[in-house]
Amino acid sequence: MPTRAPRRRRNLAPVVFVAPFLLLFLLTFALPIGYAVYQSVMDVEHTGALGLGGSHTVFVGLGNYSDALSDHAFVRSIGRVLLFAAVQVPVMVALSAGLALLLDSASARGVRFFRAAFFLPYGVPGVIASILWGFLYVPGVSPLVDGMSHLGVSVDLLGGNNVLWSIANIVTWEFAGYNVLVLVAQLRTIPAELYEAARIDGASAWMTVRHVKLPLLRPALILTTVFTIIGTLQLFAEPLVLKPVSSSIDSAYTPNLSAYNEAFTNDNYHLAAAEAVLLALAAFVLSFGFLRLINKRGGDA
Amino acid sequence: MSRTTPRRRSRGALAVTLAAASLLISACGGSTGSKDPAVQKPVKPGQKVDLRFWSWVPGVDKAVDKWNATHPDIHVKLEKIPAGSSGGYAKMRAALKSGNAPDLAQVEYQEIPSFLLENGLVNLSQYGADKDRSKFVDWQWQQGVFDKAVYAIPQASGPMGLFYRSDLYKKWGIKPPATWEEFAQAAQKIHDADPKAYISTFPAGNSAWFTALAWQAGAKWFGVNGDTWTVNINSPQTLKVAAFWDDLRSKKVIKTEPDFANGWYKDLQSGAITSWVSAQWGDAIISGNAPQTAGKWAVAPMPQWTRGSNVSANWGGSSTAVLKGAGHIPEALKFAEWLNTDPTSVDLLLQGGYGWPAAADGYKGSSLDKPSSFFGGQKYNEVFAEADKSIDNSWKWIPTIDATYQHLNDGFQAALAGKGTFVSAVQQAQKQTVEDLKRKGLKVSTGQ
Amino acid sequence: MSLQTPAREVPPRGETPASDDGTKPGSGITEVTTRSRILVTGLLVAAAGYFLLPVYWLAVASTKSTGNLFGSFGLWFSHPQFLSNLRQVVTYDHAIYLRWAANSLLYAGVGAVVATLLAAMSGYALAKFSFAGRDTLFNIVLGGVLIPATALALPMYLLFSQAGLANTYWAVLLPSFVSPFGVYLCRIYAAASIPDELLEAARIDGAGEIRIFTVVALRIMTPALVTIFLFQFVGIWNNYFLPLVMLSDSKLYPITLGLTSWQSFADRQPQLYQLTVGGAFVSVVPLMIAMVVLQRFWRSGLTEGSVKG
Repeated sequence: MPTRAPRRRRNLAPVVFVAPFLLLFLLTFALPIGYAVYQSVMDVEHTGALGLGGSHTVFVGLGNYSDALSDHAFVRSIGRVLLFAAVQVPVMVALSAGLALLLDSASARGVRFFRAAFFLPYGVPGVIASILWGFLYVPGVSPLVDGMSHLGVSVDLLGGNNVLWSIANIVTWEFAGYNVLVLVAQLRTIPAELYEAARIDGASAWMTVRHVKLPLLRPALILTTVFTIIGTLQLFAEPLVLKPVSSSIDSAYTPNLSAYNEAFTNDNYHLAAAEAVLLALAAFVLSFGFLRLINKRGGDA
Repeated sequence: MSRTTPRRRSRGALAVTLAAASLLISACGGSTGSKDPAVQKPVKPGQKVDLRFWSWVPGVDKAVDKWNATHPDIHVKLEKIPAGSSGGYAKMRAALKSGNAPDLAQVEYQEIPSFLLENGLVNLSQYGADKDRSKFVDWQWQQGVFDKAVYAIPQASGPMGLFYRSDLYKKWGIKPPATWEEFAQAAQKIHDADPKAYISTFPAGNSAWFTALAWQAGAKWFGVNGDTWTVNINSPQTLKVAAFWDDLRSKKVIKTEPDFANGWYKDLQSGAITSWVSAQWGDAIISGNAPQTAGKWAVAPMPQWTRGSNVSANWGGSSTAVLKGAGHIPEALKFAEWLNTDPTSVDLLLQGGYGWPAAADGYKGSSLDKPSSFFGGQKYNEVFAEADKSIDNSWKWIPTIDATYQHLNDGFQAALAGKGTFVSAVQQAQKQTVEDLKRKGLKVSTGQ
Repeated sequence: MSLQTPAREVPPRGETPASDDGTKPGSGITEVTTRSRILVTGLLVAAAGYFLLPVYWLAVASTKSTGNLFGSFGLWFSHPQFLSNLRQVVTYDHAIYLRWAANSLLYAGVGAVVATLLAAMSGYALAKFSFAGRDTLFNIVLGGVLIPATALALPMYLLFSQAGLANTYWAVLLPSFVSPFGVYLCRIYAAASIPDELLEAARIDGAGEIRIFTVVALRIMTPALVTIFLFQFVGIWNNYFLPLVMLSDSKLYPITLGLTSWQSFADRQPQLYQLTVGGAFVSVVPLMIAMVVLQRFWRSGLTEGSVKG
């Protein structure tokens, strides 16, 4: 049976190819999630006022979840990132799509320079971008804030509710260029015949955008949206770095910040595990929900 | 093609993966049991020992160098970490959890109970630490003693006073306020004299500062009775302090920017912030971050709630502790004692600006005991020497103090955003602190 | 569930003259008026100003002394001393900055190479072999795309610390090896671009599966792999939460963590403000150059990814 050996090898091949990834995936995704779920239903009990009598771990069921969900600060932090996402996602997508269309328009000159300029901030890590913008937000240090106050406009970019939008600005600055690049790349794949057809039909530039370009951007826009949603829920570095210069960022400003503080400042690992599980669940439900919505509505596209 | 073979193969692969995963889990289970902390013996003379030490105190590098030069057998490797509340403690807790903690670490007084609760500190009484008691100021020594055992060697405290811009005060005809009432009046006068100038900021994100003010006003937030904690944050004394700052805030005669931040340094430098109620170690902060204001500062005693009294408080204060898992505890203890009592070491730390010495004879004749040109030739540390004797020594800390600070910060910040007041923030923090302690499985009662 | 959006027939890249010379297929079909040109250019210039201003500020700030950082106008030079700042950045604390830079390169470089390879292997297998549980597996991997990495970092830290892996290079590397998004991209790309006939022909010629993969599949998948590599590289380079949670020894820090640790010391040692700003500038410059130079690769791969999706 001459073909037997190759076939055996062929049957073994996918296993060999998938195994390393799968093993690491289990180690860094499945196992941590399982472990977080396990940790989240346990808690530590201490004996004596300072625990000098020892401590032991006990099963508390959903106790940590009800603690997390009855913690106003944590619940508010979820509301805050949802609000953030509700504004950030459309702004980001609209800005990127707008810039991509401008770059792609017949009137644009110096396209390469602009593309590079927009894309540059993507190479700046979030924490460094936040340190940088932090300097540009602090009154007395920032040339922007001081310049505006000379013009009689006094804004507190770090106070009250403004700081959330100051963070949104940092995130937009970091990632808009990347999204522009994706969208421009996609626009470039539009075959010339489509434009030709549009021209023959007498379509204006605007109608070409509306009826030819935008629909073709759809898959890239969906991808951008899903990643923005997931990224938004993870918001951590930006508020953490801005916290010392703003009096409006509290210890539970975002769900991630809250979990980090519970784990490493307050030593409530089990509560933190519950918060991490809730965060993962929220991200999963939201992005899954969005995809379902899109697939249902766009089923005929 | 046969369909059974691949299925069996993939099942096999799955089994292998699961086996690997469960191996990891069981490995985890195996390593959690902590070893019995048998008392370690000192190493034989001549044997070399390496110690790791985590600290953020300025000047400590020089002291460590000095130690290494004079103690060839016990080498201390200093690793600079961020200041405790800006991430240093998070690092220590993480390291304790991962079994990678250094031998020694900087631990502030208010954090000692929380590290105890995490089972992170070594009982130094087993190693004869009690014999050093007489070398330290008594109240600072007591900060490291729990259940009659020593868990930390005191290093420095933060007796408080009032730093102020003597040039500006003079220009506007204002005397340094002796009482809080005068402080409020001065706040108004300063802001009237120059609309860009303020007497001070209220750092909403730095409740440790507010805590010190409450301490001065006579509050006693925490106590322990047997194995039950008492929490009394919302005492009349604390509420008085909160209402005082609420009042200044509503009159808009103070700033509300964060301290220890770019904008605040800029304001110190430019004269937009003209005073700072702070601990002795604030001198290095001012001189380091506002170097152009040299010669323009002076120090007065902390404003009083009762005219003629002389009550100060403590802000900060730090110890050297030996962490669980240390490989050479007797040697680590030896270093901790030397670091905080040896005159050369204490003087190097003082020059770095580490605070007020815990060593009983630390101040007299040290580099603190001199006039300073930055402070206009004033022998300003005399003010703090006096303050150090006027601190209520019975103040106690709870193991969840960080969470309490966070609640206060969050409440104060909310007040600045127009939600509630500083007073309501204090009330809220009382409730939340009780909850925090209960969460840890500790017994709590409120008030007395 | 599927991230897949309706597949679309797209001409091979060669037929779209497009991209690299800055002209586009759309040009010339519409009359370009001077007014629209001014308007479009004005908007693009404004946007470029927005994206470049902070970078310009950083460049200016990196030449200043700490005193001037707070004491002089932010958008213009004041007693430039870039070289002495640079020397301080690289020599401070026994040249720890260079170590951080090397660590960042190690994490991002090794992490991205391994992640790309693993993603290519499993993406290829998922696309080109039928085996039991294939779709389930693919769906689980897709689920992985949707789970925030930071939600995993905490439990992973607990696990790793019990296994003695926390605070080691592995603590950052192991999670960096896994890119569910990469697997997703590779599967889609492989399904669309590797013809089954080619694989069959290779098998008939007697080539082994591994050889077919390395010689045939990897070469065809190169554009997607470049994208995954760059995506993962930047992701790891920019990562903050994972190293923050995992590492406590500053010798293991990547640049992001190192610079924030400098910033956190700065109130006691004000010169560190300058070091933070200077260090940020030095770290950002090479990556920005790489971004600009690699744009071409990056772009072509991305197109494949999103379009083939």
